[in-house]
Amino acid sequence: MAGEMDLLDSMLDLTRRLPPMSIEENVSSLVELCPDYADDLLGSVDQPLKLRTDHTTGRDYLICDYNRDGESYRSPWSNEYHPPLHDATYPSARLRKLEIAANDAFDTYREMYFEGGVSSVFLWDLDDGGFAGVVLLKKTLNPATNASGSWDSIHVFEASERGRMAHYKLTMSNDKSNSTMGTVDLSGSMTRQVELDSSLTDSSSHITNTGRMIEDQEIKMRNLLQEVYFGKTKDVVHDLRSVDSLEKARKQREVQKELAGLLRK
Amino acid sequence: MSLDPRIEAASKFLLQSPPGEINDVLNDVRTIVSDDASLQTGILPALESYNVAQFITVDVPGQSHQVIVSEAGRVEGSRHRFIDPRSHTSFELDHIRLETSDPQAVDPDPESEPFRAALETATLAYVADHFTDGVATVFKPSSSPQYVIQIVANKYNSTNFWSGRWRSEYTVDVGKGEVVGRVLINVHYYENGNVQLSATHKPTFSFPPYPTLPPTTSASKILASIELQEGEYQTSLNDTYAEMGEKTFKGLRRALPLTRQKMDWDKVMGYRLGAELNASRGATISSSS
Repeated sequence: MAGEMDLLDSMLDLTRRLPPMSIEENVSSLVELCPDYADDLLGSVDQPLKLRTDHTTGRDYLICDYNRDGESYRSPWSNEYHPPLHDATYPSARLRKLEIAANDAFDTYREMYFEGGVSSVFLWDLDDGGFAGVVLLKKTLNPATNASGSWDSIHVFEASERGRMAHYKLTMSNDKSNSTMGTVDLSGSMTRQVELDSSLTDSSSHITNTGRMIEDQEIKMRNLLQEVYFGKTKDVVHDLRSVDSLEKARKQREVQKELAGLLRK
Repeated sequence: MSLDPRIEAASKFLLQSPPGEINDVLNDVRTIVSDDASLQTGILPALESYNVAQFITVDVPGQSHQVIVSEAGRVEGSRHRFIDPRSHTSFELDHIRLETSDPQAVDPDPESEPFRAALETATLAYVADHFTDGVATVFKPSSSPQYVIQIVANKYNSTNFWSGRWRSEYTVDVGKGEVVGRVLINVHYYENGNVQLSATHKPTFSFPPYPTLPPTTSASKILASIELQEGEYQTSLNDTYAEMGEKTFKGLRRALPLTRQKMDWDKVMGYRLGAELNASRGATISSSS
């Protein structure tokens, strides 16, 4: 039915237009309006990442749709669901081993780039023998002070092995980053997608391969956000209002034209 | 009357529309609610509030200038009739289509009109000098002793996925010799994403109460102060941008680690888990071949 696609498209279009700072509230209104589309919508719109504490290890981890089973969330540190769950889904033993290693590696990455914050990596087996994963990173800055900010990144990837090569498809969303100072607020989310083929020497190659991809994407995304947040929006403000007198500028142009005319004579 | 929750949600969405995108939001809402009949009457109050809150401009019938749709310009006791003080005309407004009709002459209040007109002349000159697409209206609501200056500038560039709106409002209290203002700036950038700037500024200043000075002198002084305040705010906004880029952005995520080099993933893997993973070396590959 054509109508159903249109409906989801309209909901997604709406989330791209309404203020990013109110995304959670607006998505829940949409879910109430069209409960049948709740899964589609929640699966397509990245919402701010939330923290949970792993009661076994005492460490914080991030939750999203990928580590959720019913009302419970799996911790990447203890592999346990909170609240506890019977018949829960876990990654295969082989994949869990890789997941532990990936969490360690991205924990180092997080410390090097974010100098704080929380990271979590979740992997799951795919029916075709490959696997998929999500790397979550979140950092929040002084919510109580005049200058506050937050950075959420969500990297979803799929890995399929082809002999000694692996193909990766990565979607990175920065959702939401936010920077507030006094009464100036800049918030937003952006998404980028890349695909890459890399060689495999052993299973740990998956971590180094996706690690480099994610690192490159985050560097690009950071540059892009910097350009859009502090360049693009600033240019638009200057397009709206000119600090300098437009009248003076117009007169100057006329004088220049006259001078050019005189010189030509 | 029980309020339809769908209309309530639709109204909330409409009121959040970014500059110049109310029709896009309305189209989305129409598909989502899929009940044009209820929507048409139900969302009217939201559209009315949106038009007034966002300083939406409309053509004045029979005139070549535009007027800002404002609460200060609403004809007392009327829902859809507004005044253009500049041409002394009142008109009917269709809040959905933003079409104006049925112009009628309005007699200005002879006592307040000279000062209002002086403020208008000074405001229009200021707007022409600093805004590329600015519209301004100066109101003197009959119900209030204050004059209201409103300025709006819009830039919509959907080809390059951005839009922006600058709104200023100054309430001039001649008795107190005080001007209370608010400046609201909104920018939406939406190429492969959704980034929005929202900035608010509330300037307040005083001036020699009228009629200490003749209306034109007094009006020029007020507009000179507005020009100074808005100019200073815009400059301070640039500093805020620089500071945000320096402080918050760097504080969130470094451009590169302290080592000024990208992470050495092989080394990290070697350090942290070499031994353990080497035990399962080749496991993945053999299972898929």
